[in-house]
Amino acid sequence: MDTGAKRILVIDDDNNHLIAVKEILEIEGHDVYTHNKPFGSTSLAKTLEPDLILLDVNMPGLSGDALSKLLCSHSKAPIVFYSSNDEDSLRQMVRSHNVRGYICKGDLYGLREKVAHYLTLSQD
Amino acid sequence: MQQAVHEGSPAVGSLVASDICVHPSTSVRTVVEKFFESPQIEAFGVVEGREAVGLLTRQKLLFSVFRRYGFELYGRKPVIMITDTEPLYIYERERLDVAINKALARPSQDVYDEIVIIDEDGFYKGLLPVRQMIIQQSNLLANSIVQREMAHERAKELEKINHVKSQFIANVTHELRSPVNAIIGRAELMKISCEKGYIDQLRDRLNLVMSGAAHLRAIITNILDLSKIEAGKMEIIYEEFDIMGTIREVTETTRVLLGAKPVDVSIESGFRTLTVMSDPIKIKQILTNLTSNAAKFTDRGRITLGLLASHDELTITVKDTGIGIKKEDMDRLFIAFSQVGDVTTKRHEGTGLGLTITKSLAHMLGGGIAMDSEFGRGTTFEVTMPITHNTLISQEDDDNGHRR
Repeated sequence: MDTGAKRILVIDDDNNHLIAVKEILEIEGHDVYTHNKPFGSTSLAKTLEPDLILLDVNMPGLSGDALSKLLCSHSKAPIVFYSSNDEDSLRQMVRSHNVRGYICKGDLYGLREKVAHYLTLSQD
Repeated sequence: MQQAVHEGSPAVGSLVASDICVHPSTSVRTVVEKFFESPQIEAFGVVEGREAVGLLTRQKLLFSVFRRYGFELYGRKPVIMITDTEPLYIYERERLDVAINKALARPSQDVYDEIVIIDEDGFYKGLLPVRQMIIQQSNLLANSIVQREMAHERAKELEKINHVKSQFIANVTHELRSPVNAIIGRAELMKISCEKGYIDQLRDRLNLVMSGAAHLRAIITNILDLSKIEAGKMEIIYEEFDIMGTIREVTETTRVLLGAKPVDVSIESGFRTLTVMSDPIKIKQILTNLTSNAAKFTDRGRITLGLLASHDELTITVKDTGIGIKKEDMDRLFIAFSQVGDVTTKRHEGTGLGLTITKSLAHMLGGGIAMDSEFGRGTTFEVTMPITHNTLISQEDDDNGHRR
């Protein structure tokens, strides 16, 4: 039985967000890995086999929604958008992409709760 | 006769070409002479009192007169004898398109006859040649095509503006929310530090919160300034000030912005002081925008602020040895939010508002902005402003060389 901590991969070009998310989720007892650019994220996802991927939507070079498609084809990990974008646009993006859901940046309660929620789902 | 005036087609009354007329008792000879004297006259209205009683066209009159014995037969007779007493009468309020339809519905031998325009009482208003009506009509048609084309263009333009607007709002939303969320995240980290009792972490994290707040304030200021410029509410207030003082002040701020980065900031100018008549706040804003960009994109080397004054121009330069700008990105440089482009595919941090504002400010001061850059080597921005007779107040040259 899998008793170890859950592995979460966070992809965001903004290091400030990465630092904050890493520390907050580590306190929740997760193993948090961060990556600050789209490039290399697919191979990382492949080798890391995370239980959940938090993906920023606006990144230089490759947009998060395009990246989500790439990640989907390389990894089975459920993807959740983590973004400062408008909630309505995130909701729409979730619908049109093969991702599990979204979390609004700045909503720290939502971050903890939803991460826990999506991790439970991915267990099934 | 009440006729609604159609906006596309004018009333024929407004197009009357000539109100030339003769009395029915005028002799045929007199009318023939009139036709010979004035070759431009194509027809006369035949009018008794003010009432229109017929039409005499050049073609028909001359045709009857020059037939065999015609002149002998009719020369001394009153013209009414050979007048067409049932020409096409059209009320002056009738629309042009309706009048043309009526005119062209006439039998072929009459189809090119002038139409006689009358008012509601049957009084003569003048003549209108069919040819002229048709020219008028085709002009209107051409105009309406042009207008439709213009309306179409305008609609496309509005659609584009609308798109830019909603894009702008999406960008503003993201660009404002992002730093707020960064501050929330950093504040949360401070809370965690407090809970864990890691007091020594607090100072660094507090600094991060404060720099995040300063960054957010700068973005809000830019957005508000841009709205002010676009609403035409940005005012230029001229006053005398030492522009070298402003440059020195901005140089200091730039050093603070650079923090620990190994970048040297210097001033290149031949003046110790240069008192000008301009708007010091706008000049400072221009300089701050350019230097903060330079500081953001330069990791090592130099940032140089320069000031030159020729006989008619003041030139401020900000030169850096930063990452430079690719040729294909240069065009978008002065467009708001272009750095972000589509929020989903942004390339660099920032809103791209600074340069948009800088350009507008330079224009408001009567000048312009130019840029030269080599990708990987550095960028130079140059703001020029005209010197009018009262712009340059006084100057003190720098006696220890041209550098400080």
